[in-house]
Amino acid sequence: MTLFTLVIGNIWAKKARSTGIALAVALAVMTVVTLTVVSNGLESAAAAVLTIGKADFTVAQKGVSDILYSSLDNGQVAQIQSTPGVESSVGVLLETERINAANPLFIEIGIQPSDLKPFGVTILAGTAYGPNAANQVMLGWRAAQVLGLHVGGQFHANGTSNTVVGIYSTGISYGDLGAMFPLPALQAYNRVPGSVTLVFAKVAHGYSVERVRAGLEVAHPELTTIRTASEFGRADRNLVFLKAAVTGSTVLAVLIGAVIVGNTMLLSLFERTREFGLLRAIGWARSRVVALVVSESLVLALIGSAIGVGLSFAVAAGLESLPQLNGVLHSSFTAEAFWRGLLVGLGMAILGSLYPAVRAANLTPVKALSNE
Amino acid sequence: MIETHGVTKVYADGKVKALDGVDLSVGAGEFVAITGPSGCGKSTLLSLLAALDLPTSGTIRVGSYDLQHLHNADLFRRQEVGLVFQLHNLLPRLSVVGNVEIAMMGSERPRAERAKRAQSLLRDVGLADLLDRRPPQLSGGERQRVAVARALANDPSVLYADEPTGSLDSRSVSTILGLFEKLRTDRGVTIVLVTHDVAVAATADRTIHMLDGRIVVPSLLAP
Repeated sequence: MTLFTLVIGNIWAKKARSTGIALAVALAVMTVVTLTVVSNGLESAAAAVLTIGKADFTVAQKGVSDILYSSLDNGQVAQIQSTPGVESSVGVLLETERINAANPLFIEIGIQPSDLKPFGVTILAGTAYGPNAANQVMLGWRAAQVLGLHVGGQFHANGTSNTVVGIYSTGISYGDLGAMFPLPALQAYNRVPGSVTLVFAKVAHGYSVERVRAGLEVAHPELTTIRTASEFGRADRNLVFLKAAVTGSTVLAVLIGAVIVGNTMLLSLFERTREFGLLRAIGWARSRVVALVVSESLVLALIGSAIGVGLSFAVAAGLESLPQLNGVLHSSFTAEAFWRGLLVGLGMAILGSLYPAVRAANLTPVKALSNE
Repeated sequence: MIETHGVTKVYADGKVKALDGVDLSVGAGEFVAITGPSGCGKSTLLSLLAALDLPTSGTIRVGSYDLQHLHNADLFRRQEVGLVFQLHNLLPRLSVVGNVEIAMMGSERPRAERAKRAQSLLRDVGLADLLDRRPPQLSGGERQRVAVARALANDPSVLYADEPTGSLDSRSVSTILGLFEKLRTDRGVTIVLVTHDVAVAATADRTIHMLDGRIVVPSLLAP
């Protein structure tokens, strides 16, 4: 017999209580993992915007709550282009539109045809639209597949029917799921003349990207530059708030879960007073009694965490299927989400079981053995 | 082997004096019974001798150990003391072997040896055929024999038994007392047995009588 087999035996002997603890952990882990994967999915989707143009960095308006609310005018675009070290810059207008129930947030990119090549766009079929063409559109190849459209087809968006003149590829999934319009046409439809959302900048050979960014931000404090997804919060506060909410929820889940686990373990302690008194009487060290109690809690936490992770898959899938979130939410199950879930489970187990464990270890054997 | 001088134990903020200046001496390998009416302090004295509690005043020595200045009371109990209780105190969800093995967890005995030793001890107490049973499946006498085997798991130098026959039938009482005698003669274990049963006490080498927390001369006891 080992401590582990003793722990398993104790857990098995009190199935109802063990199930209760494992379920409490499972629910907490499910909540935290689901929130994390949803947050990661939203972050990935939002950050994917940055990768469309294959730029060295992206320039946005500083301090906006959502990056799609960023607005840069022609003058700012010109200033960015003339910044020392900037080889090329592409101003792009980004909008979203509800095309149908399956595409509630269809991405629309307003870009001049002369900027297509620097932006990394490859025409797969048909041609590019003209610079001031009306009612012409190019579809990303993924979007064309989803919508079942080809060159010559009609794409209804922006309140009108647009002829598909070309099919493009950016090499980025997010970009290939959208449509490209002539910049003036998209600006006109959205009533934002001369405005772009982001400027995608490439740095000239021999220049340091970080120095060019820093110089730009010093010269134009109303602008911010983003290079990686982790810097996305500089231009999108919603994501920062979301991540803070997930962190806060994680802490809450651990605390509430620890209280539930601790309460149940304390009840167990009262029922097992004689047992713990006996163990101490026959020479078990206090540390071994603590190890026994905490180990029981940890094993249950591991079981509960596994169940919680499994449940989170189901919950995330369920959320994605909701009409309000279909096509918007794409859960991203990363290693970070699983580790966070595991830490939540283990945190609950340790925090919740410490007090009962120490109390069990410090029972006076004489009194404990006389307990009814 | 066991020496106490002026041992006093006071509870409840001085209101209850369970032991009042007890002087006791037990030789190595001796079988001593402690008798007296309920509440006379027998069990309290036993718990102090087993380092389960500390005296309010006085000294206790068990072998080379000064119990007031034990560095590790748990280790002392594990290595030197075997305990047998009136209510056996077996763990119902462990097998008979497991109930003996559990006393060896934390000892230096390798894990592989523990099960073998447990089985050997259970054979010695006549339970070779019941190794896989659990306590609820045993009679009172059989459970107490398991408790005795558990008490011997770590080769203690002294065995303390608190009313070990209190809830047993006469046949089981004989079996248990026979075991104690065998322990004394075969292993040289010092045995201190607490009982209110005069007949049980008579099987010991010597009987110590207690009354109101003190050791008394038998002639001073009420007839």
